[in-house]
Amino acid sequence: MRGMNWVGLYTLTRREVGRFFSVYRQTVLPGLISSGLYILIFGFTLEQRIREIDGVPYTLFILPGLIMMNTLTNASSNASSSMLQMKLLQQLPDILTAPLSSLELSLAYIIGGAVRGMVNGILVLLLGVLLIDMPVQQPMATLGFIFLVSWAFSSMGLLLGQLADTWDQLAMMQNFFLTPLSFLGGIFYSIHMLPDWAQQLSLVNPIYYMINGIRYTVLGVSDSSPLNSFLMALFMTILFTSSAILLMKSGKKIKQ
Amino acid sequence: MNNPAVHISGLHKSYEDTMALCGVDLTIEDGQFYGLLGPNGAGKTTTIHILTGLVLKNQGVTEIYGKDTVKDYRFTRSQLGIAHQELPIDWFFPLEKLLYFHAGYYGITQKKAKPRVEELLKRLGLQDKRSARLRQLSGGMKRRYQLAKALVHDPKIIILDEPTAGVDVELRHELWDYLRELHQNGKTLLLTTHYIEEAELLCEKVGIIDKGKIIKEGSPDDLTRELGKAGINVHITGWNDELNNALDDFSFILEDNRLHFTVRDPEEVMASIIQILSNHGCHIHSVSTEKSSLEDVFLSLTGKGIN
Repeated sequence: MRGMNWVGLYTLTRREVGRFFSVYRQTVLPGLISSGLYILIFGFTLEQRIREIDGVPYTLFILPGLIMMNTLTNASSNASSSMLQMKLLQQLPDILTAPLSSLELSLAYIIGGAVRGMVNGILVLLLGVLLIDMPVQQPMATLGFIFLVSWAFSSMGLLLGQLADTWDQLAMMQNFFLTPLSFLGGIFYSIHMLPDWAQQLSLVNPIYYMINGIRYTVLGVSDSSPLNSFLMALFMTILFTSSAILLMKSGKKIKQ
Repeated sequence: MNNPAVHISGLHKSYEDTMALCGVDLTIEDGQFYGLLGPNGAGKTTTIHILTGLVLKNQGVTEIYGKDTVKDYRFTRSQLGIAHQELPIDWFFPLEKLLYFHAGYYGITQKKAKPRVEELLKRLGLQDKRSARLRQLSGGMKRRYQLAKALVHDPKIIILDEPTAGVDVELRHELWDYLRELHQNGKTLLLTTHYIEEAELLCEKVGIIDKGKIIKEGSPDDLTRELGKAGINVHITGWNDELNNALDDFSFILEDNRLHFTVRDPEEVMASIIQILSNHGCHIHSVSTEKSSLEDVFLSLTGKGIN
């Protein structure tokens, strides 16, 4: 770590965090509002029909999934949109010509996205605690898991932001992969309610492990083993972080 | 530091099928004001982008004060301040904050950068715009911001890619004054420009780049003297045939009592010509000189205009 440009890393991280806070109406409030609406509409209306899943009231059951969906979509979209925006608005040369290493550049973007993911995740968590008295069984593990998933998906966002050339490509990733996989990962149901083939299919969806991991730390119930959820989150963190840093180092897609 | 500020040797770069640079050699001494001139697509911006780390080179040496720009990028980039040709857009932060961010990327904390930021805001007339977003600035103001950003970490070498493109005449002259001041203060400047007049006025040395190669280098004066054509026009009466022998050393034509001499340096030979004409009883009505500009040299070397 000697020889790191710490001031540079701190500055770029501050810029990344400041960027999304400066437009909190776009980056923080929507997740909170849509989660509130999910609780009201899905939770309170469906609770008339589905009383409990795994012994947990339905409204409580869906909340960890909503935390996770908010966390991972915000973390990934922060890093990806910031990188693409800098590319398209000619801001990237400013940081690529500065004495910042690929590691420092990557870390700043990843931390920026991870902070946004955590802020959004924690706000939905607080919403659950305040609105429906959600008990949090393992608060530290919950925060730790939100951090790990934020980091993993922020790294994935940075990878996608580097690869993308247009907003359309980024939106495609979000709309065709991330959102469907989140919904199919068991936010609103337990996979035991699905037919066998769909249960098997859910096991290859990485977001299934994220949702069940956080559900375990908050409610103490989970379709997958907590260890598997943690290992999947760790695997994704390592995979996406190293890929994003290596791509940054290679300069492909950001340098000519 | 005894090494040159910038040293480039055998620099090659291709983009897919297009050869952008094919062996650029260039040396800029410490404290020199160097102008890189070339038509569109000649390789000016690619050369600069390779030096600054924005473009990956295929082959060749690129050094700043003797250090490799890839291996020792932290050192070399900290020596460079770059005013890019493209004007950036930022929706999120005020101008002053952006300058502090830029200093931070170079390892300078906000506290340490404050005097420098204040000085630049004042010197470049941006004080009133410190809280403005970039989208609220005029093109000229954005150019000043680009320059302030390039200078915020007080670099030894300043790279200016078309620094006065799209600015009005008044601001262009203000920026020229400021660039001269920077040069007088010992900064090394590398300028690319579409305005040959700019290079002629400011640069001690210019390099003409065409088709990815430096084809000629020298001071603007030396280049126009060596490659340009100059002339002396003399309106006389009293021509006599003896003058054909007396003016044998000169290349000239006579047409309607008007003599046109083709020379390399009019100032050098004008006195001799006038003396010969006077000694042979000619009455001289008027004398005028004409001299090639750097633009003429550029045209003759590249066969095309800079724009």
